[in-house]
Amino acid sequence: MSIELPSSSSDRAAYEILSRRGFLGNVYTALAGIGLAHLFSRDAGAAEAAWRAGAAQTHFPAKAQRVLQVFCPGAASHMDLWEHKPELEKMDGQPLPGEENLVSFQGQNGNLMRSPWPFQPAGQSGKMFSTLLPHLAAHVDDMAFLHSMTSKTNTHGPGCVFMNTGHPTEGFPSAGAWLSYALGSANENLPTYVAIPDIRGEPPNGKANWSNGFLPSRHQAIMMAAHQPIRNLRRPGIISADQEQATREFLSLLNERHAASDPGNTDLPARMAAYDLAARMQMSAPEVMALETEPASVHRLYGTDDANPLKAAYARNCLLARRLLERGVRYVNLYCASRASGVDGLLNWDAHKTLKPDYERHAPVFDQPTAALLTDLKQQGLLDDTLVLWTTEFGRMPTHQVGTTGRDHNPDGFTCWMMGAGIRGGVCHGATDPFGRRAVDPVTTIWDFYATVLHLLGFDHTRLTWYHNGLDRRLTDVHGALIPAILA
Amino acid sequence: MTCRRRFCGAVYALLILGYIACTWSPRAHAAGDEVDFARDIGPLLEQHCIRCHQPQNRKGDLSLATADDVTELGFVVPGLPDQSYLLDVVGPGADGGRPQMPKEGTPLTDAARQKLRSWIAAGATWPSDSVLRERSKADARWWSLQPLAAGPLPDPAGIPEAWRGQAIDRFVYARLAENGLTPNPPADRATLIRRVSLDLTGLPPSPADVESFLADDSPTAYEALVDRLLASPHYGEQWGRHWLDVVRFGESNGYERNVLINNAWPFRDYVIRSFNEDKPFDQLVLEHLAGDVLGAEDAQVAVGTTFLVCGPYDNVGNQDAVQAAVIRATTIDEVIRATGEAFLGITIGCARCHDHKFDPILQKDYYGWYSTFAGVHHGDRIVASPKQQADHAARVTPLREAQERLGRERNELDAQIAQRAEAKAEEYTAVWTRPPVDRYGTEETFAASEARYVRLTVQGTDTNPHLNSGFRIDEFEVWSAESPPRNVALASLGARAEGASRRAGDFTDAYGPQLTIDGRFGAEWLAAGPQLTITLAEPAKIARVYFSSDRPRALPPRHDKTTFVGDYRLEVSLDGTTWTEMASSRDRKPPSDLHRRQRLLSAEMTETEGQRLAELDQQLAQVNAELAAIAPLPVWWVGQYSGGEGPFHVFLGGDPQRKGDVAQPTGLQAVTRLAALPEKISAEAPEHERRLALARWIVAPQNPLTARVLANRLWHYHFGTGIVDTPSDFGYMGGRPTHPELLDWLAAQVHEHDWRLKPLHKMLLMSQSYRQASTFRQDAALKDADARLLWRYPPRRMSAEQIRDSMLSVAGQLDTRMGGPGFRLYQYLEDNVATYVPLDEHGPETFRRAVYHQNARASRVDVLSDFDCPDPAFAAPRRAATTTPLQALTLMNHPFVLHMAEALAARVAREAGESGAQPVGRAFQLTLAREPDATERSAAESLVQQHGLTALCRALLNCNEFIYLK
Repeated sequence: MSIELPSSSSDRAAYEILSRRGFLGNVYTALAGIGLAHLFSRDAGAAEAAWRAGAAQTHFPAKAQRVLQVFCPGAASHMDLWEHKPELEKMDGQPLPGEENLVSFQGQNGNLMRSPWPFQPAGQSGKMFSTLLPHLAAHVDDMAFLHSMTSKTNTHGPGCVFMNTGHPTEGFPSAGAWLSYALGSANENLPTYVAIPDIRGEPPNGKANWSNGFLPSRHQAIMMAAHQPIRNLRRPGIISADQEQATREFLSLLNERHAASDPGNTDLPARMAAYDLAARMQMSAPEVMALETEPASVHRLYGTDDANPLKAAYARNCLLARRLLERGVRYVNLYCASRASGVDGLLNWDAHKTLKPDYERHAPVFDQPTAALLTDLKQQGLLDDTLVLWTTEFGRMPTHQVGTTGRDHNPDGFTCWMMGAGIRGGVCHGATDPFGRRAVDPVTTIWDFYATVLHLLGFDHTRLTWYHNGLDRRLTDVHGALIPAILA
Repeated sequence: MTCRRRFCGAVYALLILGYIACTWSPRAHAAGDEVDFARDIGPLLEQHCIRCHQPQNRKGDLSLATADDVTELGFVVPGLPDQSYLLDVVGPGADGGRPQMPKEGTPLTDAARQKLRSWIAAGATWPSDSVLRERSKADARWWSLQPLAAGPLPDPAGIPEAWRGQAIDRFVYARLAENGLTPNPPADRATLIRRVSLDLTGLPPSPADVESFLADDSPTAYEALVDRLLASPHYGEQWGRHWLDVVRFGESNGYERNVLINNAWPFRDYVIRSFNEDKPFDQLVLEHLAGDVLGAEDAQVAVGTTFLVCGPYDNVGNQDAVQAAVIRATTIDEVIRATGEAFLGITIGCARCHDHKFDPILQKDYYGWYSTFAGVHHGDRIVASPKQQADHAARVTPLREAQERLGRERNELDAQIAQRAEAKAEEYTAVWTRPPVDRYGTEETFAASEARYVRLTVQGTDTNPHLNSGFRIDEFEVWSAESPPRNVALASLGARAEGASRRAGDFTDAYGPQLTIDGRFGAEWLAAGPQLTITLAEPAKIARVYFSSDRPRALPPRHDKTTFVGDYRLEVSLDGTTWTEMASSRDRKPPSDLHRRQRLLSAEMTETEGQRLAELDQQLAQVNAELAAIAPLPVWWVGQYSGGEGPFHVFLGGDPQRKGDVAQPTGLQAVTRLAALPEKISAEAPEHERRLALARWIVAPQNPLTARVLANRLWHYHFGTGIVDTPSDFGYMGGRPTHPELLDWLAAQVHEHDWRLKPLHKMLLMSQSYRQASTFRQDAALKDADARLLWRYPPRRMSAEQIRDSMLSVAGQLDTRMGGPGFRLYQYLEDNVATYVPLDEHGPETFRRAVYHQNARASRVDVLSDFDCPDPAFAAPRRAATTTPLQALTLMNHPFVLHMAEALAARVAREAGESGAQPVGRAFQLTLAREPDATERSAAESLVQQHGLTALCRALLNCNEFIYLK
């Protein structure tokens, strides 16, 4: 959802001047104007590089055209879902060597606790995979696992925001917002960036997870879900189509005359264009949400009619995600579960108290629909240029919490995975120690993760910047290194 | 942030580099290839290594500031490059990939590595006076750190007489002339009154205001208008809102919980009042940083310190000590940043981990401020003068005494009864033959009985005999009498469960009773009432129920997350109206001493005693009601100030676990040559003195930053862009002043007028620069497209608040009441954490000015958020003005806008009739402060004829002209 603004420079200052003033179709004016404006911005002559933000250009050829990010909030446990820990099984019930008196987020830890679910080999690669996720096991040969992810915080809200924005404090742009800023829109009738919250509610820290932060607000995600249409999308019932048409015509007349009085201000035509885009969205958004037009076989594949209402709702959101992606939405942020609740582990993957029943509640909701989405993307050929990310905010402890059969927060090691465009499938990069307590070399950070994501999208993460309160800010803060091992 | 211009090669480029590096073999050190430390090696290390390996950071316990660590740790063996580890780590990685070091940023080039090799081979000489450090781009000579310059007023040739009369115009005209530009003629009066009204009050002028201004042809008409608007209470609402942006005022704590803060609003009122009273700005600064000290007797001064604690902070509570220390450091960091940016325009936060990379701000400065703010704690406290406190105590004390007396009598009576009961305890307890309830599983068996309904009625939980809700049940099983028995309560068999439950607004079934019959454990029904009723799919012969709150025994037996049923009654029914009791807890042992005592009491109590207890309870209730009726002393979100005793240290690399040098309270090293902190202020001074000292330093007349930053903010809001276009960043990364001399002149005026803002506003507003038209001129735009030099008054989109308030105002719906708790345009859901759901219907209780909206962090509200009202996660020294289709959707379709269009139509009809030319003209006057031209008029009349006045009003509220100021 972006108004394309022509600009002549990759430089932030120039971009900003342009986006504010938007010199549509008046290039010589724009160039001359920038010349003077640059006298007062910090570096004169900054307009050197060829890349332009928001104009569908990348720094170098991209592997991925769009991103699907599946997020399981609550800190989904790496050693119960993704990373097999034979040593942990052997040492079940023993103290964690070297950290016998471990105190973590909620307090004291007990002894080591093995995963309640056996792991078995999956795919050609034979990767040991949790039997809790039988459908996803079919995709392991396409997945590249990052088993040595680390976070800086052990708190859900900051953790989720960190995983989405590269900063543990709120107020920064999310990855999808950065992509929207970098590329602009690929579809004139739909948003560039969509967040699909779970039917159980928003994730920890809510809308900060898909915020535009300090980027212009057109880069925020538009919230929608199969259970929740875009806000204010529908024409109010009391206004007839005729009246709407007549009102819009009169509005255009007013706006055209007003714009003509100030030809230097291309915000004015941009606003008129935004009204047109809004009108087109009113047509196209209901179409994309018309899941009933999909064949019954697709619905069965996803499980949209499952008896479990949570699973059916998530399955419908998975299907919606595919429909958005195939229509040119650049970034879809899809959530499976929501925030911390009054009962630990009830609404999301935060199993402090009873790991086994909690995950046997969550995993079936997540497994089949997600696997179906991957299958579907692959069958449609979308996986060739769609990058799929699976993320969570951090991991869990290999120990149980004192007096419980649950696990506490662990920011020192967890798993994320990628698949699709530009990704080498069947790879496991990094690991945690034999128990799953800490990531060991090569440790990867959220910044490395996004340096790699941006690379696949055709961007050098150090050059995708925006000035804010004293700094040229980046998705990767001042860090980040590419992870070549998982690239195809 | 790494250097903004640094080009970090794309990865394939790195790989190629790596490949070349692999094939490169060391060549012999050529004679005459002298390596000079100062010229070749020092800069190399400073560029690539020093950021992490400096004394304040010491990554890997290595500092490259001096030769000490390098030789001591054997990184360099003089004369023996092949044995020098340093060359290994900067050389290509094992697989020909990225070198180990530098960890981030560009790897060393071959030439650079060769230089290092040569230097080591030649003996690795490191002159002892060569201390390497990362140098900031700007030093103490930076423009904004210089004393205010007092140059002569320019007198450019050809300046029109009207422009020559005012200093501001002379500066502006001179700059225009230098660039071959000339200003526009004055704006027409209708435009001018709309501009200045929106600018000063945030509201459009009424048609009557416009009419009388147009009719007043006295030369002082405009000045009178400015004076009237400056005196309007709406001025404080508009300009107070600006200041609230700058100080990142928000009314929820952010982070994970993000719960609303309901007592921060007095600060918002204080800001509005301060602007309206034209409180000197230096006083405002002192109150913001140390109002608790200055205003011990005056809540209206003490409230200033809300500034320190109105930013986001993490209150989730973390048992991990290392994480808790980081959270505390981040909390204080937020206060430090807010202070530096709001008053001084410095981004001191960048010096948390290392010296500032761009500005001459030292890490030592940062931790000096850290020591200053170390006693700041987020929270509220009673804000009242000693007299208020005494008055309050005089009213409360007698009631508290009565409360105590009645309570005592009640307890004594209880004790007497209990004593008698205790003597007969054996008799009473004899009937308690069964074990107490058990959270892990409680069983009732009874004679087989035909039932369709099974009902559990709870009289008390197992922790509190007086409380009959708030307990949990993870599963409730009803077993049939057949063999083998079946659990007929399962939802999968068609059974239903009903019972009041705690609500989570965004996910209604979160804690619902269906969880008791889902055949799984782990999630529990959280009761909000005393009854659980199970309806079986069909009547069945049942003989046993089994229920629990923690079947998997996940938690210890008395854990507060598994509170269970205590005293209860179990009944069955076939028709849902006639119930038969099958079992109860009466013959169970009590779950606690409290329950035991309660049971004994009710068994032993006589009728007279019962009556007396009831009387006492009634009297107590009366006293409690009277107490509740006394207005409590104000408890405001002004922060709590305590502790914060030193010594304080620099945190190496920003890590609280790695302590460096001792830090002392300070201002800013680069400015202290102009203005120093009092000598006696040290880390040992009481924490409030440290804050007060910093505040005094900020407003010291010799400190050039504060007045410059303030003057620029005024300019920014009046003209849309500041003389410096980054109002909170006067450093290297910020903008450069378009009119440096004018900025200094204005800053001097700040002092001249004793920090009062209204005289400055008036100077700006009376200037010809401000009063000129915004007419577009192609020739001028070619040179200065943004009109930064002010060849025209730059038009701009209005702020979110201006847009919303203008709609309310022209529709005649604006509620102009000032102050007090804010209204909300969202539904607030709090279930462990907070969720904000924007409202579809905005009722009249929300029709006050937007400045009174309770702005929560990480929430989005239609209209306000759509038009760039910022999330107060950060300070917003300047607002964005973006264009999105969401704005169009909101303005076209949100019920609020429709409501305003209808109200506006009704007002127009009331004032000018419903058809013909009159109402069209009136609608234009109200919304655009002008008459329609002929084309607009005829189009509007035809729209009204076909679709009514509301359609016209809806279009006018959507049009660009309505939301633009020119």
